[in-house]
Amino acid sequence: MKDSAATFLPLSPATLHILLSLAGEDLHGYGIMQEVTRQSQGKYKLGPGTLYDNLQKLIQRKFVQELGRRPGDEDPRRRYYRLTSLGHGVLAAETERLADVVREARLRLQIAKPRRA
Amino acid sequence: MLRPLYRCLLRLHPSGFRRRFADEMRSIFDHSVGKPAALRLLVDGLLSLARQWALRPEFWHELSPAQQPAADGIPAFYTLDPFRPRAGAVIHGLVLSTALFCLTCFAIRYSWIHILHVNIPAVQFDSLRSMQPSAGASATLERPTVPPRWQDKAPIALSTASHSAPVAVAMQNRALQPSATHASETLGSESPERSGRSPELLSTTPVPQAPLQPYVGTRVDQPQAPQPKPQGATSAMIRAVAEDVKLDAAERQRVIDGAIANLTKYYIYPDVAQTMADALLAHENSGDDDAATDGEVFADLLTRQMRDVSHDRYVMMVYSTVTKPENPPPSLEDVSRYRKEMEENNCTFEKVKILPHNIGYLKFNEFPDASICGTTVAAAMASLNHADAIIFDLRDNPGGYANMVALIATYLFDHPTHLNDFYNRSEHSTEQSWTHPPVPGNRLADKPAFVLTSLSTFSAAEGFSYDLKMLKRATLVGETTSGRGHMGMGHRIDDHFTIRVPGIRVVNPISKTNWEGTGVEPDVKVKAADALKTAEKLAERRLQKK
Repeated sequence: MKDSAATFLPLSPATLHILLSLAGEDLHGYGIMQEVTRQSQGKYKLGPGTLYDNLQKLIQRKFVQELGRRPGDEDPRRRYYRLTSLGHGVLAAETERLADVVREARLRLQIAKPRRA
Repeated sequence: MLRPLYRCLLRLHPSGFRRRFADEMRSIFDHSVGKPAALRLLVDGLLSLARQWALRPEFWHELSPAQQPAADGIPAFYTLDPFRPRAGAVIHGLVLSTALFCLTCFAIRYSWIHILHVNIPAVQFDSLRSMQPSAGASATLERPTVPPRWQDKAPIALSTASHSAPVAVAMQNRALQPSATHASETLGSESPERSGRSPELLSTTPVPQAPLQPYVGTRVDQPQAPQPKPQGATSAMIRAVAEDVKLDAAERQRVIDGAIANLTKYYIYPDVAQTMADALLAHENSGDDDAATDGEVFADLLTRQMRDVSHDRYVMMVYSTVTKPENPPPSLEDVSRYRKEMEENNCTFEKVKILPHNIGYLKFNEFPDASICGTTVAAAMASLNHADAIIFDLRDNPGGYANMVALIATYLFDHPTHLNDFYNRSEHSTEQSWTHPPVPGNRLADKPAFVLTSLSTFSAAEGFSYDLKMLKRATLVGETTSGRGHMGMGHRIDDHFTIRVPGIRVVNPISKTNWEGTGVEPDVKVKAADALKTAEKLAERRLQKK
């Protein structure tokens, strides 16, 4: 699973944020947008065009599963989406990759930092 | 306001995307607060629209209608194939086809064999504009001092001149009103009268409107016979006004300046042009022109002054009492009239027959536009295809179109053959004329050929004779031809004066020269009246030897 997930890496920022937002719970599109904004502390905002463009790709790749509408929702037009196990794997692999990148970056930044006398 | 716009945007999305996500996107739009947010969503929708159509062809029909059950049990019939090529493939295809198209156009334009003759309506139109049938000889053409607005299109006319030659020159000959024209063609009229030609075709009036049309020239030095007014001469296009103008010094000065400007710019030999210009100025300064207050007399005087030093009988000043507008509108009805006349006259193909001993005989009295008379030529040549020898009778042929020269000559060769070049002095350009690729099924390529010539054989007819003689492909029988190897065009100086300046020279690729002034010498010199009999005997003898 991990190996197959690695073939999809690296993920685009939009894909990463969408997968990340769905990692906690099932969300509808608007919910994903809000969650992405929250996760990035407002630094990354996803428009609906970009969101659904990515969602259709993620659904096709089976990273995300469409759950359909939920009765009693505030807006009946909303559909919910869920992260699949494959999506989980890809997200985990990407997180690991990013962790390596961050580790490496920190290491280099430390070396580059001038030592105190 | 913005919401309907957003809905429209969503509707424009590919059906697969729209069905799946449009509701949700509308829902998000409905939750947006404030105009700036709505505007941002609109921009996002626009980007999405472009992205989905340009980059996501695989999702256009993801939810294909075929996959959905028919509504209310009504059977549905779908013809759309969900497959669409990738955007990259479409772009590659576009680039490839564009490159191929450009390459083909380039190859056609610059191929060493000019075999594809494309008639571009715009070009014809432009040419026709410059070739309006005129009520007088003072046609509107190029004026170096004040260029008309279409002057910059002149090179186009040249580049296509030998291929898609406009048809109006002959028409002009028919449409001229001699009563209004006082050209100075009586000067140096050494050419004999042609025989057997209708008055229309014998028109000797200069045609200054002719564009740079290789081989399309008119005799300028024949006595002008009184002509009946040809049918169609009263073209409504030309609103001509006859005026009786007395010349003053300023007008004479303007005409002389215009003549010098045109000679300097267009005349085929720059040094001779300068000599003529000097002569005109010298005569003017010495007061030789002062007595000429009549336009006709003044035109004759200037013509004589130019010819005295150039010895070129085709340079000519033309005066007309008729005033013509600067840029008369083009007439397409004249094109159709020419076409109709050609059809009625069998494209001037007077005789096509098989003589005794299976000798083909073809007499045609013009080289008409190949784009109009190509089928007639094909039919005539097909009827002579089984002849053992062929005789072309050009004794009454005053020339015409270079494209017809190339077309008829094609039947005498089994490969594309370089006939001659047309050098345009003002543009420093040379255009080649070649025969077409061999005609399938043609059997005349290796048959003995004879061309009958006379003193009346003129212009393109001389070119045809000269080319075949240089290529040793035909035996010329008859008289030395007229000697017209330069082509000229009229240049308007003002409402009444037009100068005709030879500006294009034919250069044979073998002799590196042409027949201008000297004419084409026949191989067998006999009187024109005896040419056919002589050629028949020669052909018979040639066939017996085989």
